[in-house]
Amino acid sequence: MRRLVGGKGGKARKDPALMDSLGRASTMGLHMVSGIIVGGLIGYWLDEWLDTGPWLKVVFFPIGVAAGFRNVYLDAKLLMKTQDDTDGNKSEKAD
Amino acid sequence: MAGGLVHPLLISTELGLDNAVINGQSVEFKHVFYTWAAMAILIVVGLIVKRKLKMVPSGAQNVLELIIGGLEDFTINNMGEAGRRYVPLLCGIFLFILCMNLLGLVPGFDAPTANLNTTASMATCIFLYYNFLGLKSWGPKYIKHFMGPMPVLVPLMLPVELVSHLARPVSLSLRLFGNIRGEELVLVIFFTLVPLFATLPIYFLFGLAKTLQAFIFFLLAMLYIKGAIEHAH
Repeated sequence: MRRLVGGKGGKARKDPALMDSLGRASTMGLHMVSGIIVGGLIGYWLDEWLDTGPWLKVVFFPIGVAAGFRNVYLDAKLLMKTQDDTDGNKSEKAD
Repeated sequence: MAGGLVHPLLISTELGLDNAVINGQSVEFKHVFYTWAAMAILIVVGLIVKRKLKMVPSGAQNVLELIIGGLEDFTINNMGEAGRRYVPLLCGIFLFILCMNLLGLVPGFDAPTANLNTTASMATCIFLYYNFLGLKSWGPKYIKHFMGPMPVLVPLMLPVELVSHLARPVSLSLRLFGNIRGEELVLVIFFTLVPLFATLPIYFLFGLAKTLQAFIFFLLAMLYIKGAIEHAH
């Protein structure tokens, strides 16, 4: 089974490489936003629940923003790593 | 249909299955109906392919082997040999989402992923599963994944990491839902503007976009599982 699939691996692998970069790049925007959404909502709900005025919003909103930045930072690191990998593969093939 | 726009033709409306009555309450049933349709298609295709497996694949077996073989190679390139255990789940989710997304392009069908309930349930499933895997492989030490690189920064990093982990299912479900819902809306609007002809060219673009969305869901699920089972930092 593996052997049969392996024969076509060459063609099948190129498509995921493009899809891979495209996918990773297009996820970054929403990752930033979703961190902020979750941080803001946690603050909002806790404030509603505990009746603590704006204070928990003030605490959790920056945490959400930090989480969003952290997500994007991790994404960028992964993207860099994939690019390095593909570049490495290319130079290997060229040699 | 979405945003008050009327879908020209829906099988579920013709069958009277748009809403189901549960406990005396009328609940929207459309997306469940089409999810079941996608499941039925996948099961039937699977059974047909399974019935006549050949060493030299042809036809449907060829297509499925290309998809699954490509995804398996991709997963193992990314996760190493440890990833082979999760290939069935990941490929299953890819095929399921792909099938549901592409149902939106079939006349008479609607994409179940254009409903937030469908995508949120799948995202929650992935969220619970990768945390379960993390707990299973690391036990109490799984907390280290949330503590950042430096001990000094733990009080700062712990809430940030928790929120960023909670943001994952949100972004997973919102991305898939938003993309597919938007595409469905564009299709319906184009159809009302110029019936049939305006929608045809855009089918190619949306076919690609829907495949890409299914792939992104698969990719992120794989990255989350990978992050949970490997060493923290």
